[in-house]
Amino acid sequence: MKLEIGNFYVKDVLFGEETSYKDGILTINKEDALAFIKEDEHITDVDIEIAKPGENTRIVPVKEAVEPRVRPDGRSTFPGVTGELEACGNGRVHALKGVSVLGVGMHYGSFGDGLIDMGGEGAKYTLFSQLINICIVADTDEEFERFEQQKKNRAIRWATHRFAEYLGNIVKEMDPETIDVFELDPILKREENVSKLPSVVLVMQPQSQMEELGYNDLVYGWDMNKYLPTFMHPNEVLDGALISGSFMPASSKWSTYDFQNFPTIKELYKEHGKSINFLGVIMSNLNVSLEQKKRSSIFVAQMAKSLGADGAIVTEEGYGNPDADYIMCIRALEDVGVKTVGISNECTGRDGASQPLVTLDEKADALVSTGNVSELIELPKADRVIGELEALARDGLSGGWSYDEILGPSVREDGSIIMENNAMFCGDGISGGSIKTMKEF
Amino acid sequence: MKKAVHYINQFFAGIGGEEMADYKPEIREGLVGPSLALNSMIDAEVTHTIICGDNFMGTHTDEAVEEILKFLEGIDFDIFIAGPAFNAGRYGVACGTICKAVKEKFNVEAITSMNEENPGVDMFKKDIYIFKGGKSAAKLRDDVKKMADFANKILNGKKTGSADEEGFFERGIRSQVWLDDKKTAARRGVEMLIKKLNNEEFVTELPIPKQDRVDIAHPIKDLSKANIALVTTGGIVPVENPDRIQSASATRWGKYDISNLERLESGVYKTIHAGFDPAAADADPNVILPLDVMKEYLREGKIGKLHKYFYSTVGTGTTQKEASRMGKEIVEELKKDKVDGVILVST
Repeated sequence: MKLEIGNFYVKDVLFGEETSYKDGILTINKEDALAFIKEDEHITDVDIEIAKPGENTRIVPVKEAVEPRVRPDGRSTFPGVTGELEACGNGRVHALKGVSVLGVGMHYGSFGDGLIDMGGEGAKYTLFSQLINICIVADTDEEFERFEQQKKNRAIRWATHRFAEYLGNIVKEMDPETIDVFELDPILKREENVSKLPSVVLVMQPQSQMEELGYNDLVYGWDMNKYLPTFMHPNEVLDGALISGSFMPASSKWSTYDFQNFPTIKELYKEHGKSINFLGVIMSNLNVSLEQKKRSSIFVAQMAKSLGADGAIVTEEGYGNPDADYIMCIRALEDVGVKTVGISNECTGRDGASQPLVTLDEKADALVSTGNVSELIELPKADRVIGELEALARDGLSGGWSYDEILGPSVREDGSIIMENNAMFCGDGISGGSIKTMKEF
Repeated sequence: MKKAVHYINQFFAGIGGEEMADYKPEIREGLVGPSLALNSMIDAEVTHTIICGDNFMGTHTDEAVEEILKFLEGIDFDIFIAGPAFNAGRYGVACGTICKAVKEKFNVEAITSMNEENPGVDMFKKDIYIFKGGKSAAKLRDDVKKMADFANKILNGKKTGSADEEGFFERGIRSQVWLDDKKTAARRGVEMLIKKLNNEEFVTELPIPKQDRVDIAHPIKDLSKANIALVTTGGIVPVENPDRIQSASATRWGKYDISNLERLESGVYKTIHAGFDPAAADADPNVILPLDVMKEYLREGKIGKLHKYFYSTVGTGTTQKEASRMGKEIVEELKKDKVDGVILVST
C-alpha cells in the first residue's frame, strides 16, 4: 500500500474575496465558508476566527482539530464521516500544512474539551500553539446535552471535518510543493534485507470507553466501543480512517489532526528497512470492564505473535482507567515474547506523589512518559479569547473547576486562569509529539 | 546573611564513640567538627551546631526530638543540615528523624546525606532531601559539598533540578519537564525499542518498583497435629515495650512468652502502633493478637500446639526492606522451633 501526501505549506491565512491558495497564502471568503458550515441545520450560530502563533490569544473550549485535506480522485477525506465509505491509505491526498481547523464552542464546553494559548507562557503547553488555527466557533441545536458535562459535540465535530475537506478542496487540482511517500510492501513479500530485521508492530488504543454510542473515536465511521482489535495499515491511520471522539480529557486526547500526523507512526516509518521491519498497526481499543480489557489484550498478543512481531510499541489515548488496558496489553505482549515499549502520560497528582499509572507491572520495563495530567498551571489574562473563557470553569472541563476553597475558580475576574494540565488541548502529545518527560524531584 | 543550623552526632563532635552514644542533645553556638566544612561552602552562616548521641536519639526519640525543637524555637535560621551520615545506620536514622521533625515544625528545607545502604534512606527519602553519600567519613568533604551546593540554590532562590541532576534520593515526587534536546516521545520510544530489541541497555522513563511477591503456602494437612504461632504487625507488646519497638517506621521486633497465659490482659499488654486508634486494642489486646481464641482451639483439639512465643512489630510506615528483613529473622526462629503454620495478624 502506497500513500502520497502532497504538502502545501501555509504561511498565512487571511479572509478575502476569493477563497484561494497562492504562494503560501490561504485566503478564505468568510461568507461562503459560513454558508457552507451552516448547510448543517444543527449549527445555529457560527463564526470563523483565525489564531496565529505568538499572538496573545486564548482558545477555549476546543473540541476537535483537523488538518485540511482533500483527495484529488474524489474519494472522501474521512470515509464514512464526510462522505461515502471507501478504502483509504493508498493513492494521493493533498494537505494544507501548518494549519488546523479547530472546532470551538461559542459558549459551552464539555469534559473532554481543552484550551490553547497561542502565545506567552501558555504556548509551551500544547503543540497546537505552533499552528495557524482556523477556528469554527459555533453553537448548535443539541439542546439535550447543552448543560451536560459529557457532550457528543457531533455538529461541531462534523463541521470541522467537513470544513477541513472544504479548505482542502482549494488545492485539489494543484501541484504540491513536496510529497511524502508512505509505503510498505505486503508483510510476506518484503525484500530479504528488510524481512531479516527485527519485526515491529504499533499497538494503538484509541478512546472507546463510552458504552453509549456517539462519544467514541470512529474507525471508518464505526464507533469503536463496538469493536475488537484489528490489523490495520499505518497509512489508513494517516489518511483519515480514524476520527477523534468527544470524551477523553483534553491533554490525553488524540485529535483527528493527531491521527493524520501520528508522530509515532512516522518515526517507525523512518526506521523501516534500516533498523526494523515495520509490520503495521494492531488497532486495539479501550474498555470498561476487566473482561473486555482482557479480551482485547488476548486479541492483540495473538495477532502480534502470529504476525511474527519481535517488538511492539503500545500507546493509549487516555489516562486513569485506560492505564489498566495499557499495562495489561504490554504484559500480554511480553508474556508471548514480544519486547514492548509503552508511550503514555502519567497522573501523579498535584503534589506529584501519587502512583503514576493506575496499574503497574514489572514487565512494563520500557516506558516513555509524555507529561503529567495533574500539573497545576497558572496563566495571565489573554488579550483575546476565541470561544468563551468561562467554559473552562463552568462546564466541567477535565482540568477546570468553578470552585476551590484554596485555589478559587479556574477563571478569575481579571481574566487570568488556574487549571490542571488535564485541560490543555492534546497537551501531553501522546501520539508522539511530546517533548516533555517526567522526572523525580 | 542567611543562617543555617547543623546537626551532628557525638562521634563527629569529638565527644566519643560507642561509649558516648547515649549523649543527650546539646546545642552549641558556632562550629563543631564537620560544621567547619559546611560553613566554608554554604552561602549562609552556620550559627549553631546541635549534637546528640545516636543511641539517645534511637531509644529516646520523642524526648530527643522535643528537646532539639525547643533549642531551635528561639533561633532564627533559613535552612537545616544534618550529617553526612555515610553508612552509619543509627546516625542516618537520627539525621532523618530530626530533619523531618524540623521541616514539619519550622517549615524550612532540611537536607542530609547518607550512603544508599543506610536504612535511614528508605525511611526518610520521601520526607526530606537525602543526598547520595559515601560509605565512610573519607567522603566527608564531598558529601558536605553536595549538600551545600543544593542548599545554596535554595538559599539564593534558584530553581532546583531533578533528583538525578542534583544527586538526592528520589522522593517519589514526579513532575513534568521539557527536554532541552526537544526529542519527541515518538523518537524516544522508537530508540528505546531498538535498544530493547538488540539487547542493549535502555533507560525507562517510568521505573516500576520491584514487587517482592511471596508464593502462597501449601495448606496444612492435619491442623490437629500442627504447631501454630501468632505473629502480628499490630504492635501488641507488654506495656513497658521492653524491646523499644518504634510506633511507626519500625526496625525492631520482639518475642514474648505466652505459654502460661490464657488471654492477654488489658493493662499488661497494649498496642504501640501509631497508625490506628488504639482504644479497642488497649482495652482488649486479644482483638489483635487472638490468644484467647487460639487457647480455645487448643483445648478443642483444633490445633495440635500453640507456639510458646508470639512475635510482634509495627507495620505502619515500615519500609518494605525493613519488613522483609524482620520477617526473615522471625521465620528463622519459627523454623528452628518447628512451627508448622503462622497466623499473621495485621491491622
